[in-house]
Amino acid sequence: MRQVLRLLAAFWRINVAEELQYRANFVASVLGTLFYMATALLTLALFFRHTSQLGGWDYWEIVVLLGVFNTLTGVIEAVLRPGIGSLVGEVRSGELDLVLVKPVDPQGFVSFRRLDIWRFTDIVLGLALAGYALHRMGRAPSAEQLVAFGLALAAAAVVVYAIWVLLMSLAFWFVSVENIAVLFDALFEGARYPVSAYPGALRFLFVYLIPIAWTTTVPASALTGRLRPALALVAALVAALVFLLARLAWRVALRRYAGASG
Amino acid sequence: MSWTRRYAALIRNAWLVDLQYRASIVLWLLWGVTEPAIALGIWWAIAGSGTVGGYARADFARYFFGVMLINQLTIAWDSWYLDRWIREGELNFRLARPLHPAHEAVADNIAYKARTASVILIVWLVAALLWPAVRLPATPGRLALTAVAVVLAAGMRFFISFTTGLLAFWTTRATAIMELHAGVSLFLAGRIAPLALLPPAVASVAGVLWFRSMLAFPVDLLTGNVHGVEPLLQGFGTQLVWLVFWAVACRVAWTRGLRRYGAVGG
Repeated sequence: MRQVLRLLAAFWRINVAEELQYRANFVASVLGTLFYMATALLTLALFFRHTSQLGGWDYWEIVVLLGVFNTLTGVIEAVLRPGIGSLVGEVRSGELDLVLVKPVDPQGFVSFRRLDIWRFTDIVLGLALAGYALHRMGRAPSAEQLVAFGLALAAAAVVVYAIWVLLMSLAFWFVSVENIAVLFDALFEGARYPVSAYPGALRFLFVYLIPIAWTTTVPASALTGRLRPALALVAALVAALVFLLARLAWRVALRRYAGASG
Repeated sequence: MSWTRRYAALIRNAWLVDLQYRASIVLWLLWGVTEPAIALGIWWAIAGSGTVGGYARADFARYFFGVMLINQLTIAWDSWYLDRWIREGELNFRLARPLHPAHEAVADNIAYKARTASVILIVWLVAALLWPAVRLPATPGRLALTAVAVVLAAGMRFFISFTTGLLAFWTTRATAIMELHAGVSLFLAGRIAPLALLPPAVASVAGVLWFRSMLAFPVDLLTGNVHGVEPLLQGFGTQLVWLVFWAVACRVAWTRGLRRYGAVGG
């Protein structure tokens, strides 16, 4: 474990040094995120021109949820897409060999080797948006709620990570599908709104089958006091389950990998 | 060699290339229909048993099915291709051919749209069997008018995308400009809601600029929401004006950009 961390730390140092050469990208990234957030808020405002609640949530509650959505987008764009997201190409070209010969756990290394550091600002901006929305609601979360939120958010990040691992494991079977990450993007679109806003069948899908509900609805609910803090423990349990499932899928998938020469 | 034979060869080639990537294309297609599907889900919840701005649940269903189909028929990815062609020099061998690279791009569009839109059409027909809300009366006149509007919209979106891609001659952020345009068109082209549900001032801006012509107008034609001769002529007129505008912009960007490109290479 310590070895993995030391190795990753070395990679991250090079990574950061590289990125610091392109500081204009920082400005572009922040502007892009702000534009993206503005679009989401305008969309919401458009819906609320014609209604006063969506699935029982009012405007600012959903803005809290959008903040959570943006925070997780930051995790995805900064860590997952540059890391595990580039797996498909490597499976096809056989470059994965270079990872497998390293004396570290391949899943851990593949997942966290590369960072898009500028996108970490998405996390900051997302949390700021959630905080602002809470302020507008005139609600200060209790310490208990904050702890529950922290736990639920961490669980959400684990769920998102596990879904990526599951999808990328498919790459070992469907080598020619280079854009498999698009499947995630399509699913994650559903996490922009509280699950209660969707018709019954879709809600079932998002809670139980593809656990997207646990990524935004639950943390946002914990923060606004919509759900009892204890639910964060259930979220942690769900995250642990999905993580184990993903770990298993990865193991099975890796056994299929034949390498560049095979 | 006649143009029909040239285009037949180009389209055949594009079709076969796409065939290799058919699984990827299905995923892009899925991604493309998610946005209207979610918008439909939300408006469905808002409409409940009543209406919103004159739209009941079934109207929303038809509208967003229309958006899925017509967006797929009119969308153009060319700015992404051109950006890559220009930055990575893949434009060079295309310039050496005795055929303007735009023809290859047009053929790619035709092959891609024929493949993806027919998938959506089949899904729609199956859905209509099970779900009466999304059935449309098949009036030949309406379908013919929609077809014309779709061709104009597709042409215009092609020129917009191509022109934006050509900006790569000058900037490394051409695709970012296209993303910006996509963000604005989310509202103004009617992707997130029928234009009737926007604030009236915004909706009229969308009608004066090219955005309504891109998507909302053909969708309204298809779903039977254009009433009377005057709105019909106005809609087609706006489409034509902006089609010409973007075609000229594309021409200008091409000649100027190429001069600049040559200067860099020489």
